[in-house]
Amino acid sequence: MKSFLSLLIILSSFMLTAQNNTIAAGEKLTFSASYNMNGLLNELAQVIMETSTVKTSKSTLLKLKCTAATYSNWDSFFKIRDLYESYVNPKTLTPYLYNRDINEGGYEKFMKYTFSYRNKNVASVMRKKRRDGTTWEEKKTVKIGSSTRDLVTTLYHIRNLDIHKATIGDSQNFTVLFDNKETVVRIKYLSKETINTALGKKECYKLGISLSNSNVLKGSNDNVIWLTADQNKVPVYAKFKIAVGSGELKIKSATGLKY
Amino acid sequence: MKKLFLVLGFITSILALILAVTPLFKIAFIPAIAALIFGLLTFVVSKDKQQFKKPIQLVFLITIITLALTTYKSVFTESQVGNTEQMEQKEEQLEEESIEELEGLEIDDIDNQ
Repeated sequence: MKSFLSLLIILSSFMLTAQNNTIAAGEKLTFSASYNMNGLLNELAQVIMETSTVKTSKSTLLKLKCTAATYSNWDSFFKIRDLYESYVNPKTLTPYLYNRDINEGGYEKFMKYTFSYRNKNVASVMRKKRRDGTTWEEKKTVKIGSSTRDLVTTLYHIRNLDIHKATIGDSQNFTVLFDNKETVVRIKYLSKETINTALGKKECYKLGISLSNSNVLKGSNDNVIWLTADQNKVPVYAKFKIAVGSGELKIKSATGLKY
Repeated sequence: MKKLFLVLGFITSILALILAVTPLFKIAFIPAIAALIFGLLTFVVSKDKQQFKKPIQLVFLITIITLALTTYKSVFTESQVGNTEQMEQKEEQLEEESIEELEGLEIDDIDNQ
């Protein structure tokens, strides 16, 4: 048991320092999020995943950015303008700073995490808007494990995994810090499938996503993501089961890919 | 029985009409088709064909308007993102703040990794 635990610790420390072979700066992936009910597809929002370099006086970092914006016909009903970004080490994808600024139908929230893996904690700042327009701020220090990442970095980290070495049925757990809580996300390699996408017919890795300590995203086969089975591992399609119907994320365009 | 079909026909046709004017207009096809079926059923079930003639006509009229509107919207509506200027401004401001913060952080020497 002891040797197993130590092996686990060594493996998890390797996971954080794994080399980034997939993500390059200047990459832009555009998706369309839609709600599917009996095959009637209703487009809701545009999701963009973008990478760029950011220079500080001491180093050059990689900025990973995800934005979501509802289409104009939804804006008067439920306007969403979400921004998630993470500043990471370009070689290992280790996060240093994470910002989340969301505006969902008038509900505004800002979160900032400053990671310190040396002290194994995160300095978090939360800013929320009250109904009367004033804002309130909450500062916290959250203890984290050595392999805990933020949401955006985890998404990119999944793309950086050596899926070609895995066999069907393999699974891996990732710890994600969300709303100041650590959540374990389980990714399971389900199969290899060829699907039609806006980028053409692609052979893809089909991965199942499930959360172990949450009620959302229950079950491993209802929430699936397809990554192209090439070196870029572009997420081309994702499907999420919801109460009535399902949510879908389809790729529209991909530019600036590394390979 | 015929009254039930008629009421269901009215409910589904009005639901379809409401859905047709919202951005979820494509879903309006489901209640619209249900309204047509209920309308037809009312007509078939009622022995006295003149009894519910006017209400059935009304159900059909609402449904046809809904279907026309939904089909028109499905063909001509293009999904375009609205105004994101505010978000872009916020993004620039956040980047400036973040760089400032990153300057103050102890970042391991990336080039040596």
